[in-house]
Amino acid sequence: MAALVEYIHEDSPVHRLNALTKIFWALFTLGFGLLFNDYRYLLALLASVLLVAASARVLQSLLPVISGLTVFAMILFLIQALFYNQGQVLFYLIPGVDRVPVTVQGLLSGLAMAARMMTIILSFLVFLTATRTQDIVLTLVEKFKIPYDYAFMFLTALRFIPSFLNEVKMVSDAQQARGHSIGGINPFKKIKSYAPVTIPLVLLSINKAENIAMAMETRGYCGGNRTCLRDTRMGRTDYLLTAALILLLASSATARAAGYGVM
Amino acid sequence: MNRQVLIKAENLTFKYGTEPPVLRNISLEIARGECVAVIGQNGAGKTTLAKHFNGMLKPVSGKVYVGGRDTERLKVSVLARTVGYVFQNPDHQIFHDTVGKEVAFGLKNFDLPGKVIEERVTAALETVGLTAHHATYPFNLSKGQRQRVALASVLAMQTEVIVLDEPTTGQDYRESMQIMNLVKKLNQNGHTVIFITHDMALVAEFAQRAIVLCNGEILADGGVRSIFSRPELLKETFLKPPQITALAQSLNRYAIPPDVLKVKEMYELLKARGEEIGCFS
Ligand SMILES: Nc1ncnc2c1ncn2[C@@H]1O[C@H](COP(=O)(O)OP(=O)(O)O)[C@@H](O)[C@H]1O
Ligand SMILES: [Mg+2]
Repeated sequence: MAALVEYIHEDSPVHRLNALTKIFWALFTLGFGLLFNDYRYLLALLASVLLVAASARVLQSLLPVISGLTVFAMILFLIQALFYNQGQVLFYLIPGVDRVPVTVQGLLSGLAMAARMMTIILSFLVFLTATRTQDIVLTLVEKFKIPYDYAFMFLTALRFIPSFLNEVKMVSDAQQARGHSIGGINPFKKIKSYAPVTIPLVLLSINKAENIAMAMETRGYCGGNRTCLRDTRMGRTDYLLTAALILLLASSATARAAGYGVM
Repeated sequence: MNRQVLIKAENLTFKYGTEPPVLRNISLEIARGECVAVIGQNGAGKTTLAKHFNGMLKPVSGKVYVGGRDTERLKVSVLARTVGYVFQNPDHQIFHDTVGKEVAFGLKNFDLPGKVIEERVTAALETVGLTAHHATYPFNLSKGQRQRVALASVLAMQTEVIVLDEPTTGQDYRESMQIMNLVKKLNQNGHTVIFITHDMALVAEFAQRAIVLCNGEILADGGVRSIFSRPELLKETFLKPPQITALAQSLNRYAIPPDVLKVKEMYELLKARGEEIGCFS
């Protein structure tokens, strides 16, 4: 989990691209993914995302996440395969009485949904792991005109997800070690039984937030106008790639309107 | 003498996720009434090992038995009746608005009658010297005091085994001594105590046995005296014997034994030696 949203330092062509280009790439992937629902298109898209991950040399680090996502994808696939009952029946899950049909279309649309889900999530993960945090902040502030304080807040929040998850585990262990068990069938009791875990978590988080705020102020952080040391200008490759992406998206939208890539 | 084994690990190996093993092939037995110190450099795997003793972590391979029962299928909240665990950071557990209620939490989980809870809370707070703070809001206490609240909340459960993860870190000398004297008293009252520490003087003073961990393996396991008399072994896991033992070792050629553990012991030895060679007359 910890590696989920952390920048991984590599010297790859993808890392050298401007953050803005990579944001465009992730957004376009999202766009392509939502446009089509033909499993062949979506699988090809997934393959392209994996290719980008490989050329950014982050594929290895993302493997645990990918295997986790695959489990979700399988569940999605199964649900779709079981509940989609139009089209050509392959076989029945309960054979004697011809109930719960599994259809070819059901399987294919399950495959498409699973591929779409993985593609969209992975493209954002590749973006986050291959782009320096400072560069994301700068791009958000300079190009998208988001106030620096908000951009900073957003990224700090991202940064703290892994350590928060760690704390959830520590607190629930500490309470279980004192004989506490979460559960019961009665929903009110169940909600009440979460209090020993949630209260320390909230207190710890508030405390941490206060400490961070204080540490930042003692080191001279303040709002207002900022100047940047790093340069966020786009290079030639960035312009070319962005143009290609825009072209690709426009032509796919046209193709989609003409009826390609839908089942 | 019937030695009753309470905690037993057999070829325990553990890893976090897909990373290389943090504990490798650990086998050990801890008997009723022992006071054991677990030592080793940061990251050696001490906490990871201790968390196996109350089922918070389960071995990847090998077995851990607590009171003869395999921990594999037992819930932490069940094992909590046998093994109490004091965490390093008290803020991971404190959530009540008074110290008294905080200490009573574990007892309520055990469904004890109100009167018993009342008595045990009072006794536990007295032991840790926080009687006056029964109704205090825990977050108005100092960190050292909160640590003692956490300790009291485990003491009150009166478990056979008590595990303490670095109980004196962040405490001043006097507070450390208070806590360790308390640990000693618990041990004298028949509790089995396992504590993790970086302070070798505390090990020398309070433990009978030490388990030395190094990179996830047991480097040595035995009486404190024999372990501290082998400085070359301790060096491997970046530990040093207590200062007084180091002094004794450097005075070896004056016939001072290399396994002196306490200042008082050294004093007696030197005095005897002085009389022997007649320098006090
Ligand atoms: N929750 C965790 N996830 C992954 N690795 C961990 C986790 N906790 C500890 N480790 C790793 O396991 C090793 C042993 O840690 P630990 O048992 O806490 O050591 P010690 O208590 O001796 O300082 C360290 O290398 C540490 O980085
Ligand atoms: Mg530790």
